[in-house]
Amino acid sequence: MTSILVPQLGNEITEAEVTEWLVGEGDEVKEGDLVVVITTTKMAMEIEAPASGKLTKLSAEEGDLVEVGAVLGEIG
Amino acid sequence: MPKEIPVEPAAALARAKVTFSDIPVCDYDEPIAEERERRGDANLREILRHMLLVREFETMLASYKSTGAYRGIEFAYKGPAHLSIGQEGAAVGAALALSPDDHIFGSHRSHGEFIAKGLSAIATLDETALDAIMDEHQHGALRDTVKAHLGGDGKVLAENFLLLGVLAEIFMRANGFNGGMGGSMHAFFPPFGAYPNNALVSGSSAIATGAALYKKLADKPGIAVANIGDGATGCGVTWEAMNFAAMAQYDTLWSDPRGGRPPVLFFCNNNFYGMGGQTSGETMGWERLSRLGAGVNPEQMHAETVDGTNPLAVADAVARKRELLLEGKGPALLDVQCYRSTGHSTTDANAYRSRDELKAWAEHDPIVKFAATLTAAGVMSEAEVDAMRESVGDTIGAVTRAAVDPAIAPIVDVPNDPTLIGDLMFNHEAIDLPEAEVPVLKPPAQVANFKSIGRKARFGLDDEGRPLSGMRAITLRDGLTEAVLHHMLHDESLIAYGEDVREWGGAYGVYRGLSDIFPHQRLFNAPISEAAIVSTAVGYAMEGGRALVELMYTDFLGRAGDEVFNQMAKWQGMSAGQLKVPVVLRLSVGSKYGAQHSQDWSAFVTHVPGLKVVYPATPYDAKGLLASALSSNDPVVFFESQRIYDQVEVFRAEGVPSEYFRIPLGQPDIKRLGNDVTVLTIGPSLYPAMAAAEELATQGIETEVIDARTLVPFDYDPVLSSVKKTGHLVVVTEAAERGSFAMTLSANVARFGFSDLKAPPRVLGSPNWIVPGAEMESTFFPQAHDIVDLVTTEFFPARRANRRGVRSWDDIDLARRAL
Ligand SMILES: Cc1ncc(C[n+]2csc(CCOP(=O)(O)OP(=O)(O)O)c2C)c(N)n1
Ligand SMILES: [Mg+2]
Repeated sequence: MTSILVPQLGNEITEAEVTEWLVGEGDEVKEGDLVVVITTTKMAMEIEAPASGKLTKLSAEEGDLVEVGAVLGEIG
Repeated sequence: MPKEIPVEPAAALARAKVTFSDIPVCDYDEPIAEERERRGDANLREILRHMLLVREFETMLASYKSTGAYRGIEFAYKGPAHLSIGQEGAAVGAALALSPDDHIFGSHRSHGEFIAKGLSAIATLDETALDAIMDEHQHGALRDTVKAHLGGDGKVLAENFLLLGVLAEIFMRANGFNGGMGGSMHAFFPPFGAYPNNALVSGSSAIATGAALYKKLADKPGIAVANIGDGATGCGVTWEAMNFAAMAQYDTLWSDPRGGRPPVLFFCNNNFYGMGGQTSGETMGWERLSRLGAGVNPEQMHAETVDGTNPLAVADAVARKRELLLEGKGPALLDVQCYRSTGHSTTDANAYRSRDELKAWAEHDPIVKFAATLTAAGVMSEAEVDAMRESVGDTIGAVTRAAVDPAIAPIVDVPNDPTLIGDLMFNHEAIDLPEAEVPVLKPPAQVANFKSIGRKARFGLDDEGRPLSGMRAITLRDGLTEAVLHHMLHDESLIAYGEDVREWGGAYGVYRGLSDIFPHQRLFNAPISEAAIVSTAVGYAMEGGRALVELMYTDFLGRAGDEVFNQMAKWQGMSAGQLKVPVVLRLSVGSKYGAQHSQDWSAFVTHVPGLKVVYPATPYDAKGLLASALSSNDPVVFFESQRIYDQVEVFRAEGVPSEYFRIPLGQPDIKRLGNDVTVLTIGPSLYPAMAAAEELATQGIETEVIDARTLVPFDYDPVLSSVKKTGHLVVVTEAAERGSFAMTLSANVARFGFSDLKAPPRVLGSPNWIVPGAEMESTFFPQAHDIVDLVTTEFFPARRANRRGVRSWDDIDLARRAL
């Protein structure tokens, strides 16, 4: 099981908003696929799948605010 | 969203050749018999008459400059006279191919183009249309004057109207076409399609490009012509404008109904010289000016070199380019060779060219050659040519006699109305926005950034008074975004552009989400051409549009210096209020990146008359003031500090309204009440001032903090009332102190509040040296402790606190050391 995490976003940024999921729960993803877009006050960022497999769980919904390091979803 | 056009390595790296097509040089070869057939003899005679009128008009000016008299009429003309004697073939030939809907933008040497364009418009327009034009201008006053003193009916009256209007303008008289505010180098008259001439070499290139952009987007008839010289090809803005007009995105990305590229013709009056610098052989490397087009786009700008000594060759070339432009295939470039036989100005000693050269070109004088062609072909006799010359002389004589007479062409009466000129600088109008929304690609409610803004708190403090993060509450950036969104949605004439404004949403995200809503023709990425960005906006606005443009950093203002300081700022005044320039220029003030990316240059723009200047510091003010700026019919420079884009609203408990609202320009805002000292802040200095006020309160000193919000206009009353109460003033700014707007504010309060002041007012700004890097910034930009230090040591020495800042220097000593 691999977690999709909110990455470090620069010195002053501690949180981001989940803007858009590009895949849904249960979808198969390949490592490197774009899975979710998050937005900080400064920029929008596309997050890639850290591993191949099935997206077993979405831990944050569109519109949620998430902290740096938080889990966005799990790939099983 | 990523780019729609992929950059393919296979295509980029494949072996190939870039090829160019041949550039025609002096290719016109039409027998005069054909021209007679096509145009008719009467029209050919008119071409000669128009050239003679231009020649005689300028001969008159030359005579005033050299002898103080013309045809026995004495007059001391003190203004400039950049004459185009020898170049009439270009001016009259071009005008022949243009319609009144085609708009020409000229240079310092454009009397001829103006007169030729006017004569051609008069020839084209019917008498009803001419009557309407003369009736509308100055409510018919100039027409009545012309009727009374020069006479004439129909087209003759219109020609006298044209000649007196332009000559009175050159003499800077009240009934000149531009109320005497333009003069020789700036005269214009839009109803005939003669748009502003420009004293800045190449000033017209980007303005004409912006005008053409308006014609394209508003689907107006005609083309725009940038009349520039050969020397102007050395100006950066010329290249910027040509590229701006040739951008590929018009074809690849835009979806405006008309399609194609802006219809602009770069018409280079190539007289082979700047003032004394020789373009072919000395100051430029092009060898043939028409070669330039090949560097701009695959069509090579359809460039050609034309024999400008023959008006028919010029008319032929302009007509062909015009057609291409109207098909959306612009821009076009013409290298029109037309030797200037008199000096650059009347003080020109002609030291840079030989008698032989002048003599050789005299044989190619356009009037001599064309008269010879017409007489040889039997279109007119030599006697008829002489009679025409005489009649033209009489016309110019009569017009001149009228123009020198203050009873007919009155001197602008400034003594009687001392702020007359000032009153022409601004119209102070604000537009109403229609209720209806323009068509969009996607409704804002479906766009991520606007969904996210929609979820945020409108006030930036939580129940315990702690600030929320910019992810949870509306920021200054969001306030700006909301104002821009509303105007873009309700005002289709508004276009927004600058570097990286689409996918990036502007370098600081103010336009984030807007590229999902608005097509490229409303919001587009401009080339890295700061001069063209500003001047195209000016041209776009002059024609009737509205533009919101930006420079990524205020530090890049120098790259658009002429465009902001001479073009954006001055055309309302120089047109005596006839032109409106509704342009908002956003300037972002940087931080952390050192000396060339962190400067508050508000002093430059406040110094130049003709610009309104805004610098908000809170989300509420940013939204309301940007809405006012975007509604304004005057040009506005709008400063934003990068350090506070994420600032939430902490002052207004009701929060930032999600509805649209405006805050009038010119009203400083009291952000905190206090009785002991007034701190007036500019831009982000508000926040250190608030922090200082909190700290001073613990020492029993109550600070009134006033946020200037707008610098031009500025209402001093709230500040003077405050000083009446406190007796102390500090003005805080992030600009370098020397010459700053804070110094102006301080000097005026010293003057008008002198009797209320207990100590001289102080300015606390940045020191007069380079902005250092991020880690040194707190020693540079005024900090809360610097304000506390100043207030306690200078205003309340009895309550002296320990000094914590580094500002223990002696300003008098620094000044001696150039600091
Ligand atoms: C930006 C700018 N630089 C310099 C000048 C001074 N100046 C006025 S006319 C001129 C020569 C311009 O040459 P060109 O573009 O060939 O036009 P011409 O005078 O030959 O018609 C110069 C240098 C100016 N008016 N504006
Ligand atoms: Mg020249």
